[in-house]
Amino acid sequence: MFKKVLIANRGEIALRILRACRTLGVDAVVAYSEADRESLPVQLADEAICIGPADARRSYLSSPAVISAAIVTGCDAIHPGYGFLSEDDSFAEVVRAHDLTFIGPPANVLERFASKEATRRLLGSLGLPTIPGSNGILRDDAHALEEGERVGYPLLIKPAAGGGGKGMRMVRTPRELEAALNVCRSEARAAFGDDSLYLERWLDETRHVEVQVAVDRYGRGIHLGERDCSVQRRHQKILEEGPTPALSVEARNELCTRAIRAVVSAGYENVGTLEFLVDRDGAFYFIEINCRIQVEHPVTEMLTGIDMVAMQIRIAAGEPLGLSQADVVSRGHAIEFRINAEDPEREFRPAAGVVDRYLAPGGPGVRMDSHLYAGYEVPPFYDSLLGKLIVWAPTRAAAIERSRVALGELMIEGLVTNVPIHQALLSSEPFLEGRMTTNLLDRVGSAAFLAAAARV
Amino acid sequence: MTDDHNPAPSEGASPAPRTADARAADHAAIGRLAEDLVPALIAKLAASGLGEIEIGEGTWTIRVRRPGSVTPGHTRRATDRPSRSQPGHAGHGHAPGSFEGHRTARDGKPGSGSVPGSSNGAGPVAAGEATGPIAQRTPDDGPQPHRVVATSPAVGVFQPRADIQPGTRVRNGDRLGAVDMLGIAQEVVAPADGILGASLVEPGQAVEYGQELIVIEMAGRTADRSEV
Repeated sequence: MFKKVLIANRGEIALRILRACRTLGVDAVVAYSEADRESLPVQLADEAICIGPADARRSYLSSPAVISAAIVTGCDAIHPGYGFLSEDDSFAEVVRAHDLTFIGPPANVLERFASKEATRRLLGSLGLPTIPGSNGILRDDAHALEEGERVGYPLLIKPAAGGGGKGMRMVRTPRELEAALNVCRSEARAAFGDDSLYLERWLDETRHVEVQVAVDRYGRGIHLGERDCSVQRRHQKILEEGPTPALSVEARNELCTRAIRAVVSAGYENVGTLEFLVDRDGAFYFIEINCRIQVEHPVTEMLTGIDMVAMQIRIAAGEPLGLSQADVVSRGHAIEFRINAEDPEREFRPAAGVVDRYLAPGGPGVRMDSHLYAGYEVPPFYDSLLGKLIVWAPTRAAAIERSRVALGELMIEGLVTNVPIHQALLSSEPFLEGRMTTNLLDRVGSAAFLAAAARV
Repeated sequence: MTDDHNPAPSEGASPAPRTADARAADHAAIGRLAEDLVPALIAKLAASGLGEIEIGEGTWTIRVRRPGSVTPGHTRRATDRPSRSQPGHAGHGHAPGSFEGHRTARDGKPGSGSVPGSSNGAGPVAAGEATGPIAQRTPDDGPQPHRVVATSPAVGVFQPRADIQPGTRVRNGDRLGAVDMLGIAQEVVAPADGILGASLVEPGQAVEYGQELIVIEMAGRTADRSEV
């Protein structure tokens, strides 16, 4: 096991990793930017080190700064969290070159899965169904139009690197495709430093279902069930739950079993998530793999009782899984609400400011992962995630009831948050019936969705 | 933009009252300088990229210098540190050679001492000013501190320049040393003109971004005079 881990991230995930390190008896150093000096992970850390200014490019995204911080504080491993440097294979390689361990897949594994388009072909060849799409990366506009014609409209333009909905566009005609290519390229370049795009056929009314996997260095892998992340706004997940209400127990088992077989064959290592689209008929298509801990990992933790972050650290340290598939038992139902500092009334514009009062909800099955405290000033430089409310209960209906109570208790004063959208979801029929698709909010627009919920 | 208008050498050791004529001549000269010369000099300086321009006329000289003393970025870094990290930086009791020593202020129990959000800004500034030396201020010095601190531009290992020591006169922007960040030398520069004061860290010590490294006693009128 590691002696000391550098936590190269911020906010709730830095706190989550700090807690996992403490559970494992591993010392941790929180690396922070000047804007996060007063943040909770820095306050709670035994050791913290300022690595740069507020600008993430010179702090959380600067691999020299992060690695230098790890070296001068005597760390032997770096946990990148999610976002920032977490899926950067060249960063992982530089970390390794400095005799440090990157907590995540080894650099060569990350590199193998770095291109979404190549991963789609690799896992497709290993038995996972994929959505029909372009043959490889789009070379230029002419090639895009040619491939678009072959695959058939409507189409989804996707960047080969990165995630989070950036650089993605749905287009219905060749004209729309041509018009969107440049925008997608520049968005992808700005977000991931790589403007390669590919095309996928657009499926209407789909569900987003993902499978959590864990594979150790010795090729032993387990799946930890699936999560349904269909509630999205412009490709950004808002609410995640498990198990998915979209599939039967048998179908879920088949999906998870095929997913873990494919990634083990592909030589994957560490924790990861395979994302699928599920269509109206229950057919599933692999779309991409996330080679890191995910925002919504607590859903799986609540269902299985397994500490995913501790597991991730142990695998990176070379320990065997120590669990077989039969040891993973999923109980009950869990829902995670992403609490963001953004205004649902104003097109989800991000908000920054001081948290005047903060009260986390409690009660059976209620968990709040958040870095907030009263008096904390949310800096304007980073993403708007304030925390995650995770609610567990024996059944989905009971989890929804508990969620209503918990959301009602949650008090964040001084900032505008997206809590109203969650409350609206909890009174939305498609959600209550478990029929939500990824276009639930975007079809009507969030404002109309809120207004409709207010009338109920 | 500051300007030093040095009285002519004619002003001797004996501060004898000057004649009305001499005073009138001085005032005329000052008026001409302020209205004609200074704006022209400022424009010239801005266009030149030079740090400073000095010209003389008769018994008067005028020197125009770029906003040297304290650039906003440096002020923020030097003084905006929360009070809890001050003890390690304050200059007197730093533990040599160890990063942990610098961290001692934070090594207490979680939540003890520093309540999250207890002080946001007011404390650190006050602390920075209070530790300043002899507060001999002339009115036109404004609210500037009399000492500033060169801070670390990166996280890494600090090496001061070997050829400078306390007492050396430095100018704003002078290189004082470097922080090695993974083999990349990041220059530590003087944030203001002044006299090199105490070093707050040892050569070869690990430092974090924004950490206070070297005190600069600022060159005010006091320092200028003591030099003559």
